[in-house]
Amino acid sequence: MDIINEARQLLVQEKVDIFLGYRELDGHLIPHGYTRDNLDELEGLCVSQNRYPLEKTATHLAKKDPDLKIGLVARDCNQRTLNVLYTWNQLDPEHIKTIGVNCCPSPFKDHGDCTYLAPKTTGEYKKEHGIDFNAAPDLLLDSMTNPERFSRWMYEFNKCLKCYGCRNICPVCFCRECSLEHEGLIEPGALPAEVPIFHLVRATHMAGRCIDCGLCEDACPAHIPLRLLYREANEIVSGIFDFQPGMGVEKSPFSIIGDKIEAELKPLDA
Amino acid sequence: MDCKFIPSVCSYCGTGCGVLFEVIDGKIESTLPLKSHPVNQGKLCIKGWNLHEYINSYMRLNSPLIKEEGKFKKATWDEAITATAAGLGRVKEKYGPDAIGVLVSAKITNEENYLAQKFTRAAIGTNNVDHCARL
Repeated sequence: MDIINEARQLLVQEKVDIFLGYRELDGHLIPHGYTRDNLDELEGLCVSQNRYPLEKTATHLAKKDPDLKIGLVARDCNQRTLNVLYTWNQLDPEHIKTIGVNCCPSPFKDHGDCTYLAPKTTGEYKKEHGIDFNAAPDLLLDSMTNPERFSRWMYEFNKCLKCYGCRNICPVCFCRECSLEHEGLIEPGALPAEVPIFHLVRATHMAGRCIDCGLCEDACPAHIPLRLLYREANEIVSGIFDFQPGMGVEKSPFSIIGDKIEAELKPLDA
Repeated sequence: MDCKFIPSVCSYCGTGCGVLFEVIDGKIESTLPLKSHPVNQGKLCIKGWNLHEYINSYMRLNSPLIKEEGKFKKATWDEAITATAAGLGRVKEKYGPDAIGVLVSAKITNEENYLAQKFTRAAIGTNNVDHCARL
């Protein structure tokens, strides 16, 4: 069954109240919320090679009406995001229905760039026109000495415009109070961004949460290899806790605070 | 509940980045970069990302104000335009057209900027026209 009929059935059978998909408007493929009131619009339902954080919109909708049943087209990365949002109680899995769609559909790419897809191969378009993303880790890490890597990362961070785009587009960034706006950590209005604290604060928060969707890197006007940075942060988490964010609805190791802190402070010079 | 996405152009400067407004129940909730826009190609600066904030600001004027006896009063567009035309006319008659200057803005369209300079030169009769991007 094609996605139009599948979405229509979900709406007609009242399994969802609103369905988030894509449509074409003025030559742009953009997201759209389809509802029962205008079922005719569903003829225009499609997927898009331009990815937008539909799950983030779902959290905005759920905030307005927690009982709203939301459907959405979901690639693998959307699905992983939803899992993260379920475990952090941002969305109720009972109220979400997804229609699975192909990863990163594009006339240029036969495969996505994502770490979750095996094997890691690069699409024809990137082979011809761009950097092989999956080769980037070797480029930045393995073949370099520590001082070289350090200066390369500092160079990358120094390009930052402090637009907060990486945070704003991130589907798993939902905190009401963001550390990147905490005056004690990041000075408000200071430009250029404080390097490397700005990026490392965000990287720390992506550990155990980032699902490698790559929207941050797409949105970065300075082309900072953010995906690589967060992958590295996540490698540490998966190494220590054997946890891969978004693969299931298992709680992140960082969400378990416990009832009582039993450790005692020790003097620093001991 | 109603959820729409509306493409638009950022009104903060003259670059013309494509933005996408997330509109829930008639209210703009957030701004996203329009990924398929040729100018910004899915990227935005911090001002563009926060475009919805001034649209929804309680400090935003939604009708013209006329200052009478030192106080601002709400007015209709007809009243405001009449008052402005009368004010400009008085200054021009008393001190000549060069006593008037017009500042145009990056926040209006190219066509509106063109009209504004045309109005300054042809209707008022002065070359005193400048743009905020030069200040």
